[in-house]
Amino acid sequence: MTTEITPTTTKTRRNFSFLFALTLVGLLVLICVALSIATPNFATGNNISNLLRQGSMIAILAIGQTFVIITAGIDLSVGAIVGFSTVVVAGLIQSGMPVYLAIIITLIMGLLIGFFHAFGIVKMGLPPFIITLATLTSLRGIGLLMTNGSTINITDASFNQFSRESFLGVPNLFWMVIIVAVPAFVFLHLSKWGRYLYAVGSNPEAARLSGVSVPKMIYIAYGLSAMCAAIVGVMLAARLGVGNATQGEGWELQAIASSVIGGTSLFGAVGSVHGPLIGAFILATISNGANLLNVNSFWQRIITGALIIIIVFFDQLRRRNR
Amino acid sequence: MRGVSHLTDLSSGSAQPASQGNAATVGGDDIILELRDLEKRYGHIQALKRSTLAFRRGEIHAIVGENGAGKSTLIKLLTGVIRRSGGTIVWNGQEVDLSTPNEAIALGINAVHQEVVLCRHLSVAANIFLGDESTKFGLLQRRDMTRAAQKILDDMGFSLPADVILDTLTIGQQQLVATARASLRGTKFIIFDEPTAYLTRQEATQLFALIRRLKAEGVTVVYISHRMEEVFELADRVSVLRDGTHVGTRNIDETDDAELVSLMINRTLDQIYHKEQIPFGKTLLETCNLSGKGFTDISITLRAGEIVGLYGLIGAGRSEFALSVFGRNPKTSGDILWKEQPVDISNERKAIDLGIALAPESRRDQGLNLNLPIGFNINLPVYDQLMAGPIIDHGEERRRADQQIKDLGIKTPSRRSLASSMSGGNQQKIVIGKWLNHGAEVFIFDEPTVGVDVGTKAEIYRLFAKLLKNGAGIILISSYLPEVYELADTLHVFREGHLVGSQTDRERSHEDILAEAIGV
Repeated sequence: MTTEITPTTTKTRRNFSFLFALTLVGLLVLICVALSIATPNFATGNNISNLLRQGSMIAILAIGQTFVIITAGIDLSVGAIVGFSTVVVAGLIQSGMPVYLAIIITLIMGLLIGFFHAFGIVKMGLPPFIITLATLTSLRGIGLLMTNGSTINITDASFNQFSRESFLGVPNLFWMVIIVAVPAFVFLHLSKWGRYLYAVGSNPEAARLSGVSVPKMIYIAYGLSAMCAAIVGVMLAARLGVGNATQGEGWELQAIASSVIGGTSLFGAVGSVHGPLIGAFILATISNGANLLNVNSFWQRIITGALIIIIVFFDQLRRRNR
Repeated sequence: MRGVSHLTDLSSGSAQPASQGNAATVGGDDIILELRDLEKRYGHIQALKRSTLAFRRGEIHAIVGENGAGKSTLIKLLTGVIRRSGGTIVWNGQEVDLSTPNEAIALGINAVHQEVVLCRHLSVAANIFLGDESTKFGLLQRRDMTRAAQKILDDMGFSLPADVILDTLTIGQQQLVATARASLRGTKFIIFDEPTAYLTRQEATQLFALIRRLKAEGVTVVYISHRMEEVFELADRVSVLRDGTHVGTRNIDETDDAELVSLMINRTLDQIYHKEQIPFGKTLLETCNLSGKGFTDISITLRAGEIVGLYGLIGAGRSEFALSVFGRNPKTSGDILWKEQPVDISNERKAIDLGIALAPESRRDQGLNLNLPIGFNINLPVYDQLMAGPIIDHGEERRRADQQIKDLGIKTPSRRSLASSMSGGNQQKIVIGKWLNHGAEVFIFDEPTVGVDVGTKAEIYRLFAKLLKNGAGIILISSYLPEVYELADTLHVFREGHLVGSQTDRERSHEDILAEAIGV
């Protein structure tokens, strides 16, 4: 043969995912540096704390959402669950229940809502988009019925205080991100359950014929997503000191956007825990910076949209060249 | 000169004089398409290396080669799906660019791909006329199109209804629709990529008749197949690709199986059907009057060291039987015995835990997680065994994957490469690897060699022998009679969901068994 043995491409999937994460971190740092130069108000302790608080809720939603998207599904209900959870936790606390018990009940309720989604998908054969769209509207309705359209004020000072305090100089709400993200990372990247999630998203029939219980994984994914939303609901209730069913409007789209910016593929089987986290904080930083710079909030939406297109486009290019 | 140098590259494969191959490559002035020094590189990888090939008007030109020999690359170049990295393409004496699918279609080049690329939710007629709909005042003329499509199908000798939704047809029938679509619209050059892989015998016969008719009409047919008997039945000339290089073209009546195989794999294949007699051990699996969706009253026994062959036409109930034994589909009556104990296999996990492995019929749809890494696929059934506490033992995960890749000779740069980047034969090895990794005792192979080249086939058969020696039993499902006939110790014939015949000593001829399967 006249041709030399062709060298094999040694670039690997993991390197790519690592590089992509690095690029995202780079982008986040770049935005922060630019904002620090553009406005003296950005790099202040107060503002950074505020930014972390803002970003942490979408970040947790995005982690849960990512589990679902990896199975090639979608969870549109997370925003509504946030609003509904604020009502439930506020109502329970105001009825005199101990705060820890109220929180536990709220989280279990979130888990059950997720199981209901999985039931609709597995047993009733509904598409994920439809079943979660249905709970999106119904949950808001149920929440409004329960409160008669009004707001429940939470009078428990310790509960409200939690969201404003910091631990080791970092806001408590951001600690919540770490408390959720670390087990989520272990679950998705280091345990067999994570592998099964990818398998289900890639090819459910092949997963099934390899002994993976596909229904069980669907229950786990939607259960975790809804429970993450309930956690965020509790955090939001603490931050605002109220329960109101209309809270968290449109947050599901921000969660999906964060997840996608973080490299998750809506076709399933591609995604990570760290990607969506960074994605959420990129969105939060842009919104924070735009506020500081007095950019019209209408522009913020346009910028966010454009950013989604650009980042996902580059991600597609990267995949295609593989 | 190029042609000569290629043939001299053929150091050991063939003793054919270079001049003969050359004469066959550069024909007279009836050449419709000529490829000169065509090349395709993907980064460092050369998928096609400076190949020179000529196609005559109105000939059936077969192209054979192992998986990964460059056949798919050639098709993609000819249909404008990818752009060449070097060389020239001459169409009817004129140099052409051929860099977009539209350009190929405009010239009259069409292809029928191995996987059906049609709109599943549209009717047969709508698919045939897709992109070329007949309209009146901007409105679709649905009835006219259905009528016209029906006429086309009838003329081609395909017994297919034009007004049904494509999805309701079998894969084989869909393939015929794709063929009908491709042979319309002034096609002068049509490429068939493994067209019979999913066809029944009758469908294949209809297809061959159409191909001969296209030839008579002066259309050039490029026929890509692993099935040698089809090549010899249909083709006028045959070109062989190996490792991305065109290694020779022969007139069909001047060559034979042995020469083509040696050109393809550059070594002689003394025995493809590697078979060793191993004394049978204890009974592993038994079904007693098992019935389920698609099959009725099936009783078979599998012993250690034995290959039980299930032969029949596609749709005869063999795969359905296998899926029920594996717990994928429920049984309706009858029993399954595992090592002489009745067992309840109500889901796949139970079958896997007993030690049953299933390499399913469709690699793409059932066997593999294509967009995930090779190592992932190999370990998927055994993640239970890989857990160190709550997390996976990553060292063990790597070791297991690398071991199967090495043992099976899966050609990949890394266990992290995606399964989708592998050729058909290597994909089949991944499916097999995942069950070797699991360490099953009963292996059910459903059509393990469909779309697999002859070299890999031989490897798979040698692997069977190794499994049997290690005390496993194999259920081999195949529509390819020579394969089950030669390999199976016990051969069962399925027809319409029933077991219609069995033999243990190869006493009956191929014809008898085929007749039994068809029911004549």
